Amino acid sequence: MIRFEKVTKTYPGTGQPALDQVSIDVEKGEFVFLVGQSGSGKSTALRLVLRETRPTTGRVYVAGKEIDRLAGWKVPQLRRQIGTVFQDFRLLTTKTVGENVAFAMQVTGHSKGEITDRVPQVLDLVGLDDKADRMPDELSGGEQQRVAMARAVVNRPQILVADEPTGNLDPQTSDGIMALLERINGTGTTVLMATHDVTIVDRMRKRVIELEDGRVVRDQAEGAYDSSS
Amino acid sequence: MQLRYVFTELGQSLRRNVSMHLAVILTLFVSLTLVGLGVLLNEQAEKTEQQFGSALEITVFLCRDDDSNNACTGAATDAQKDAILTVLEDSPEVESVRFESQAEAFDRAEDMLGPEQFEGPDAIITEKDMAESYWVTLTDPREADVVTEQVQGLDGVSYVQDLHEITGPLLASIDELTWFSIGVAVFLVIAALLLVGNTVRLAAFARRKEIGIMRLVGASTAYIALPFLLEALVTAVLGVLLAIGALAVFLEFEVIGRLSDRVDFLPWVDWSDFGSVVLIVAVVGPIITVLPTLLLTRKYLKV
Repeated sequence: MIRFEKVTKTYPGTGQPALDQVSIDVEKGEFVFLVGQSGSGKSTALRLVLRETRPTTGRVYVAGKEIDRLAGWKVPQLRRQIGTVFQDFRLLTTKTVGENVAFAMQVTGHSKGEITDRVPQVLDLVGLDDKADRMPDELSGGEQQRVAMARAVVNRPQILVADEPTGNLDPQTSDGIMALLERINGTGTTVLMATHDVTIVDRMRKRVIELEDGRVVRDQAEGAYDSSS
Repeated sequence: MQLRYVFTELGQSLRRNVSMHLAVILTLFVSLTLVGLGVLLNEQAEKTEQQFGSALEITVFLCRDDDSNNACTGAATDAQKDAILTVLEDSPEVESVRFESQAEAFDRAEDMLGPEQFEGPDAIITEKDMAESYWVTLTDPREADVVTEQVQGLDGVSYVQDLHEITGPLLASIDELTWFSIGVAVFLVIAALLLVGNTVRLAAFARRKEIGIMRLVGASTAYIALPFLLEALVTAVLGVLLAIGALAVFLEFEVIGRLSDRVDFLPWVDWSDFGSVVLIVAVVGPIITVLPTLLLTRKYLKV
């Protein structure tokens, strides 16, 4: 589903590459943690998957397409197959919970009927079916992240990319978010999650890819945050 | 495609950035009005030139009895008239020649100046005071000098009047005005372009969160840019309408209502000339707003 072939990414003006000869292969339906310190290249890897940036050398395949060869006007098609969740939720504060989720469908050209059908379904999935008419700032952090996840999956993406989704949440709330991610993964969605959260990675026992200075230093099935444990 | 979002966004953005949009509309209004004035003046120049340039290019006045020109030895004889006519008709620069008799000249003068001095037993001016003349239409108005030289000094010619000498300064003034209004319009158009650019940048900044999300969930670039383009179009339409309105008022009340009454020897522009003004203003307006918007949305909304 996601494949990096000897990918190097050097940002202009920097000597050290952000990613250095990285090769990764993520199968459909997998759940993968991307760990490593700040500046290790996690964000660059996610940006490449989203085709927010392009590799300097090497190839990146996402959902069967080589992203560097993708014409600019086809990029939106690619992104419709990828849901995204961020540490800072990125909700629209002027829209209700329901409208925030519906927004993702509206701007990708879904009909009103589809929207009224599916928005309550995903709000139910994330456990917010009773809060559709609330404004985001009336909700707790955990609830806001659930809204963001509802928005990420409402277009039924094949891949869910999560960048530190629990970074702003307390441990208990984080567990809830992780449970939800597992549930989404259970429906066949490939999940790629960048995180610093040791507890979560250790407890979940999923595949762990560790980056250090832009290189893959570990790729372990059912791994923990540190290679020692 | 769901257009409801696009129109909601359009309405919100027009309200949110109302002062900026007003600045664009007003600048557009003034610059387009000047562009339209330039077009009108150009048409006025063409009309003036047509009337005085080609139709009445030069008039050859013939000697009459007691002519003030000392070279005249009395009224031009038939032989002299024939000789002059031959010279005119043989000249390649001459398209046609029309003879005006004393009676015709008298009627025309009376028409133009009113009957007071021409009627009754004590009339100041009589038919005998008028000169016979050849009205010469040239193939090329600029050749007036050549033809004038050919006939000036022939026996029976009193003097040659080149109307171009009279209309020349007038045409030059119209030309200057045309260039002045177009010159000022150019500066204002540049100001309008910059204003549109700033407006797009502000709007993109105000909407950066929505735009970020739209890009992530895979909204097409066209869809993201559409509210911006519609915004540009709305401001253009308003600017164009204001300019056309102002030009129409100017044409109706200033030109048709006042100038054409007071200065009636000139053919003035009228509503039949207004179509091309509307066309040019209606094309230039949207170009001024849509073009920078297209360029900048490509820059700011890049996927």
